[in-house]
Amino acid sequence: MASLIGIDVGGTFTDAVMITNGVIERKGKIPTNQDDILNTIISALDYLQISKAKNIETITVSTTLVTNAIMQKDLPEVELILFPGTGMKLSSLPWPVDYSVLTGVLDYRGRVVVPADQSEWQTLAEKLNKQSVKPLTAIVSKFSHRNNVFEEQLAAYLHREVPGITTALGSQSGQANFYRRSLTTYLNLAATELFQNFAYQLKMAVEARGCRAPIRVLKADGGVLPLAKIRPVESIYSGPAASVLGTLAQSNPEESYVVVDIGGTTTDIGLVLSGSPLISTHGAQIGPFLTNVRSLAVRSVSIGGDSAVCLDQGEVMLAEYRLGPAYCIGGISPTPTDALRYLNLTDYGDLQRAEEALGMLLPENQRTASDLRRTAEIIVEKMVEKIARAIEQLLEEWKTEPAYKVWEVIHHHDDFKFYIQLSGGGAPGLEAALEDRMKLRTVLTEFSEVSNAIGAAMAKPTFSWTLHLDTKFSIYRIEETGEQGIWTGPKKPHREVEDFLKELAQKQAVGLGIETDDLEKEIFDYFPLVENYHTVGQIVKGAMHVPPGVIGRIRS
Amino acid sequence: MNKTGIIFFPAFDWSLGEFHPEREERLLYTQEQIFEEGIMDLPQVRQYSPGVADLFDVLRTQAIFPDLQQHNLDAHLIAVGSSLVLGNALMKKEITNGFALVRPPGHHSGATVWGNRGFCTLNNEAILINVLRAKYGIKKIAVIDTDVHHGDGTQDIFYHDPNVLYISIHQDGRTIFPGTGFTEEKGGPNAWGSVLNIPLLPGVGDEGFLYALENWIMPAVEAFKPDLIINSAGQDNHFTDPLASMNVTARGYGKITEMIKPDLAVLEGGYAIEGALPYINMAIFLALAGEDYSGVVESQKPQNTEIGGDTIRSFLTDLKRTNKAVRPSWVFRKEQFLPAGDWVYSEKSIYYDTDGFKENRKEYIRKCSHCGGTVLMISQKTSAFQKAVLARIPFEACPDCEQAGYDLAETFKKLEKTVLLQNQLRDQVHLWRDGREVNPFGG
Repeated sequence: MASLIGIDVGGTFTDAVMITNGVIERKGKIPTNQDDILNTIISALDYLQISKAKNIETITVSTTLVTNAIMQKDLPEVELILFPGTGMKLSSLPWPVDYSVLTGVLDYRGRVVVPADQSEWQTLAEKLNKQSVKPLTAIVSKFSHRNNVFEEQLAAYLHREVPGITTALGSQSGQANFYRRSLTTYLNLAATELFQNFAYQLKMAVEARGCRAPIRVLKADGGVLPLAKIRPVESIYSGPAASVLGTLAQSNPEESYVVVDIGGTTTDIGLVLSGSPLISTHGAQIGPFLTNVRSLAVRSVSIGGDSAVCLDQGEVMLAEYRLGPAYCIGGISPTPTDALRYLNLTDYGDLQRAEEALGMLLPENQRTASDLRRTAEIIVEKMVEKIARAIEQLLEEWKTEPAYKVWEVIHHHDDFKFYIQLSGGGAPGLEAALEDRMKLRTVLTEFSEVSNAIGAAMAKPTFSWTLHLDTKFSIYRIEETGEQGIWTGPKKPHREVEDFLKELAQKQAVGLGIETDDLEKEIFDYFPLVENYHTVGQIVKGAMHVPPGVIGRIRS
Repeated sequence: MNKTGIIFFPAFDWSLGEFHPEREERLLYTQEQIFEEGIMDLPQVRQYSPGVADLFDVLRTQAIFPDLQQHNLDAHLIAVGSSLVLGNALMKKEITNGFALVRPPGHHSGATVWGNRGFCTLNNEAILINVLRAKYGIKKIAVIDTDVHHGDGTQDIFYHDPNVLYISIHQDGRTIFPGTGFTEEKGGPNAWGSVLNIPLLPGVGDEGFLYALENWIMPAVEAFKPDLIINSAGQDNHFTDPLASMNVTARGYGKITEMIKPDLAVLEGGYAIEGALPYINMAIFLALAGEDYSGVVESQKPQNTEIGGDTIRSFLTDLKRTNKAVRPSWVFRKEQFLPAGDWVYSEKSIYYDTDGFKENRKEYIRKCSHCGGTVLMISQKTSAFQKAVLARIPFEACPDCEQAGYDLAETFKKLEKTVLLQNQLRDQVHLWRDGREVNPFGG
């Protein structure tokens, strides 16, 4: 029987599971060493004893490697070259990195309005040659997702003139907008070497343990891709995606619910609509970088079982940080976990120490049982309130998603009957309080403590192919892959466009190791191009997805 | 820095016909442009989700004849509803200004509606204005209509309303649809001067528009002291527009917006979907958000000669003189069915170009020195010989005008098949069919 392995690298702990035929065969938690993510993962694999396992189908990791490197500014410098064309001033948006600007204007259909100025390119090449031996260069033009001509020509030029250069083009992740595409291209290029080293060493380490299973990486949108195929920047924020998928693997596939995963320092909240995780309409933001990385719609609240509880002018407050573990398990600061322990809502930790922790928040003469109890209740109420507000915000975000068609507005939100699916360390103690506050049935996820690792192990590969076809100019583009090619079909196509995209998706899916059995088609939009009362072509927009989801369900 | 709200609702699945200027891809390139520019990522920008207007809000302002059920209003209700979402956000101080970038447009749709005209069925701005008055108690509102076509529908709705200043600057009605908007049209007997029309020669560009704004429009707005300014932001004064002959640029629209400083801008017309809309929408939006719009440059260059300089200055000086010299002249009528008071009579014929039929309307307004005056409109769709009546008791109506409204409804429900009473004073609407009061919203 083949086994699935899932590893989720968290801020404090790394969770690991081995699942065989829907049954959890092995599970555990080891401390995360933030300075050595690679060895943390390898230790987790050793904990699962992969060298003894006979038949491992896949190993999936959800890793904070790239997230950490970006947040700690631990990435090499990238030269960002922009063709901003006309329109909004670059300075209107905050750019967290330096850039230089070249001449050249494209319009919204990718037509060249002002050609590039090659004399500028020579100056650029000279500068790059002086600056660095192996410069990393990200080249992005406005509307390059409609026509990558400037990007490709400049890249070709620089490869001739600047030995050792590495280039990355904005059109390779061809979604709007220019600003996010620029920063995403920058981050992806900056993280490439780090990620490749990690990938290589992880593969070697796994092979050294006699395991030949393919290694996959979880993405922010809840999908997985093979280690060698993923764009490094897509591995950011896979933790919250893992929580949502983990819950998905432990619930009824038809239901709609809010996922609440209470960790030590943060609580992640996600939304599942009739078994499908909600995808955010915006790309992920990481530190000061807005990206076009597709992600699940999730909210992270800086509150968890280990959050420090302090006094502010005599009032009990929850801090947005932790000071080590809960007092009742040997920490130094009172935490929500101590409050839960004192109220007997959990049996985790020492009751005596929990009482001491709460006492620290009260004057000596007010440490009666009823005072302590009241203090504990206030802590729990405050925590639940914070989580409840974040749930309400996420539901509001979902309800106020933009819509661009009459149909979408009229049929905007069918009535979903939500409940709350609660997981994580602090979860059991908060079940009743959260249910009471939200007036929603609240259910504990069974394998709460390793839910994220289950999510990683059971995640399905996902991919999207978004087509933009302009038959007047006979050009098609696939936004996610950056592919731009010649359309040889008719000027006013119909069904053949869908077949064209389907065939293309199926062919590329094979290369990505993705099965396309459940390829989902979005409604295609056909816009007639009218000139002088004649239709001269069409713009067709459409997409096919392998949606996020899980392989099977966990059996208890 | 302004906090600017935006609703982008391109209605990609709604059109008036395959070759019609008002078709699905009208905002397609605008979408490409504004999405690629990343305007939704500007820190001061908040994108709102489209809304659907309540039918009550429609009937408070417009009489939909013969009844609501005879019209397919889905797309129109979303265009109105989206304007209302931004209106509410403004009132809650979530935003300092907003842009409803929506289809379909509305400013040709008037007080009585039998169908679609000038691509409009419901009047987005007018419904919005009356919601702001009814729900938030806003007293005085100025509308500045910068569409190339005269906003005859908006003018019609507020013609007798002294608390709404309607200003339209447009290409002369003798050369373009809808053939109205002359400077002699200055408002009804109780609202004389609350309408200002500035018809321009074809060929005027940025210079002429900005001159008119600076020397005529903005001083008129300042004198009126409105609580709110709404811009009917039509974009067909652009030099590439296929239906009009003006020479305004995208940056000119940016400057216009900067001068008007509208609290809310609502998209109206503009049919150069490639040459103009992507750029003008950007420029207006950036101006609202307080950002530099000088980089918004069309890929085409103006080809026609612009009417500017002394020509436009002396033209506008003459026009202003003409406008000042106009004196009101009213026709008073006594009819059996009219309650006590002096009633001014007028009539008009309204052509519905989309469906090709005519409405003839007789209009009686009660002359009143205390309020806007109750209005009676007897309307007939000529092709179908259908008649319907609207009686309107205005906001802040005086007791005599209020009573006149009830008396008119009482009289006409026995005489005509369809009678609608808009009681803006008490925020109610009533509908009678064949003498019996029915639910105006169906069901």
